[in-house]
Amino acid sequence: MPLRLAGEALHLEAECGVEEALALLEHLAAPQPPAIDLRTCTHLHTALVQVLAACRPRAVTLPDDVFLARWLMPLLDPSTP
Amino acid sequence: MNPLLACFVPESRDLLQAAAASLLRLEKDSHDEALINEVFRAVHTIKGSSGLFDAAPLTRLVHGAEDLLGEVRAKRLTLSSDMVDRLLDALDQVSTWVDALEQRECLPADAAAAAQEKLTALRAMMPAAGESAVVVPGRAGETHADWLSLLDEAEHRAVSQRLAGGEPVVAIRYTPDEGCFYRGEDPLHLLRQLPDLLALRIAPRTAWPDIAELDPYRCNLIFHAVAVMAHDAAAHLFRYVAEQAEIVQLSPSALPAADPAEDSPAALLCGLLAEQRRILALPAQDADEMRRRIAAVAGALANLSQSPALPLRQGDVDAAVSAALDSGRPQALLALLDRLEQCLTSPRAEPATRPAARVLKVDQERVDRLMNLIGELVVSKNALPFLARRAEEVHGSREMSREIKEQYAVIDRLAQEMQGAIMQVRMIPVSEVFERFPRLVRDLARQLDKRIELVITGEDTAADKTMIEALGDPLLHIVRNAIDHGVEPAAQREAAGKPDCATLRLSACQEGDQVVIEVADDGRGMDPARLRHLAVEKGLFDDAQAGRLSDQEAVNLIFRAGFSTAATVSDLSGRGVGMDVVRTTVDRLGGAVTVTSEVGRGTRVRLSLPLSMAIMRVMMVEAGGSLLGIPMDLIAETVRLDPRRVRTIKQAETFVLHDEVVPLRRLADLLGLPLPPADPDVHHAVLVARVGNAPVGLVVDRFREGMDVILKPLDGVLAGLRGYTGTALLGDGSVLLVLDLKELL
Repeated sequence: MPLRLAGEALHLEAECGVEEALALLEHLAAPQPPAIDLRTCTHLHTALVQVLAACRPRAVTLPDDVFLARWLMPLLDPSTP
Repeated sequence: MNPLLACFVPESRDLLQAAAASLLRLEKDSHDEALINEVFRAVHTIKGSSGLFDAAPLTRLVHGAEDLLGEVRAKRLTLSSDMVDRLLDALDQVSTWVDALEQRECLPADAAAAAQEKLTALRAMMPAAGESAVVVPGRAGETHADWLSLLDEAEHRAVSQRLAGGEPVVAIRYTPDEGCFYRGEDPLHLLRQLPDLLALRIAPRTAWPDIAELDPYRCNLIFHAVAVMAHDAAAHLFRYVAEQAEIVQLSPSALPAADPAEDSPAALLCGLLAEQRRILALPAQDADEMRRRIAAVAGALANLSQSPALPLRQGDVDAAVSAALDSGRPQALLALLDRLEQCLTSPRAEPATRPAARVLKVDQERVDRLMNLIGELVVSKNALPFLARRAEEVHGSREMSREIKEQYAVIDRLAQEMQGAIMQVRMIPVSEVFERFPRLVRDLARQLDKRIELVITGEDTAADKTMIEALGDPLLHIVRNAIDHGVEPAAQREAAGKPDCATLRLSACQEGDQVVIEVADDGRGMDPARLRHLAVEKGLFDDAQAGRLSDQEAVNLIFRAGFSTAATVSDLSGRGVGMDVVRTTVDRLGGAVTVTSEVGRGTRVRLSLPLSMAIMRVMMVEAGGSLLGIPMDLIAETVRLDPRRVRTIKQAETFVLHDEVVPLRRLADLLGLPLPPADPDVHHAVLVARVGNAPVGLVVDRFREGMDVILKPLDGVLAGLRGYTGTALLGDGSVLLVLDLKELL
């Protein structure tokens, strides 16, 4: 299961495919949205990227994956306006 | 059927049709890249989805076609007519296999061999390996400041270094189409495959909506990437989404020392606007200070409104400023700044993204069921006036009756709107039938060695689905006739002083509640003298009778069964079935067909059909104690006739109307119903109908009102019953039989 809720953080793990988009959106649309942990994520499908970008989760833990860390984070960083 | 297959079959049919149509257009203009992409994508999609089924030969064949198209797209090959032939051939084969898949869920046994044969034909068109292909240079040397302005300083330096080192660098702007997730595409995954990525920017195309309204499956991202690779390699990587990705080869000259974006007027304006925003955002000590700042910003904006680069008018500024001053808060001004910044930052050359077609494919049966239900609603609504009358007459409540009538008016309006809406659903454009003609005309013209240009106009004209579908075969006959008999061989045309390429016009338009379709050629036309001669030869007329036929009447002879004008029976047409079939079909649909022809100038066939045949206006009459409906469009007038004016000529009764002798028939008699006792003092109620252009008087017992009915054809055991078009349900629950006068008389 690529989506795993542990405590306050939602872990996106390994290869996250398009089929997780709705589930992810549901998590983030909840009244108390979880933080997002991408540490072990190896790939995020574009649809998930969209959900993250649109919902602006309050905190995102950097992925180990270099590609994601470098190119995706600027889009998700909550500190950018 | 396997649900995936049930999806695949109609989808690939649509794609095949689209691919064939685009190929034909490409044959004329082989440089239209959008068309090539369309064919390529269609074929590619079929290839992709066919892999899900046990249909390896199909996949292989489509793959072969895709390879060939890929060469064309890469401009290593130019599309020839021969190539189009083979590609169409391959698509036809695929289409047959799709039919087979639908029926038996597997391909025919000989599929592998057939695929091999077609593949060999396709491969023969491919350039042999090693044969040097013309490489079209990428659009090198273009400056793309808008790309580079996205880079930060470090990235900028990296790009300069790689370029200076003589490495190829491409900039890619990738705007995935909104529905790309449904096709299994993952843009980010594609970008991951760029080998040496120097920069990647991901941004939303439009501002994100509220979370509640976010559609995660609609792609709203745009990607800008800069990578170290050759243009060709990048184009290869993006080959399946070529029209969504703009790839530009960067050259060292494209990178000026200073960032060009800094100096562009847009960037300067952006800077100024950001500055105003900063001023407004500063915390203010008191309301006065805020007011001063608002005034300062107002001054700056007033100056900016002079700039032609900003869509800003002094009026906008004044309105925002006074709103801000009134409230003591800068919100109105901030909103204005937002709007201006958006205007400046939205990319100017954003490729027009096609709006995703939100189309629902619905089984026709469901629409028909809805239509039947609405039909029943219309009918049951008709019961309300009966009820109103009863309330008044039987129960003596006038007020109740009025209220029922008021409710009736509301339901009536709604029912009519529903009826209109469902009719709209059933309306399809005539292009559905026209679509097959470019292919047909091309093939026939090549086969007969004639040159024909097909001009189609008005293909958007819409009519009821049943009409459009029923039109296919008659039109096919007409077009074949035009090509086979109408259009002369090129040599003959030149001798007659005509351009050697013939023009065949296929046009559609709406005239009132009719849709009119015309097929016109500029061929040799029909010779009335020859038609008369033929009529005599076939024993239809003697010499004298034939001589009396007017030219137009002679031309109309072609509608007679068995009257084939072709000197030799050819493969295509001229087997004596044809125009008479056309006329019967069109008649059955309630339409009309006319032909006009001029020797040496061409022939024009005109079909006119009702837009929709589901709802019919009928006039109700009583005859022999039964209630019957007669289609309103046949009725010319109704008259009261003094029985003494009836003349009997031999056995036939007639009367004179508008100085014309009109035959008189008794409807009860025709239907075998009991005749009412003849009373010489009572005037006959006569309904004058036009049947086949000649008037005929029908004696009925009584006229009743006209009404709209949903006609249901007679089916089952009753299907063979002649003289009736169908039945309709009346408001009081009784069944109305609607007569088919053409058959009855």
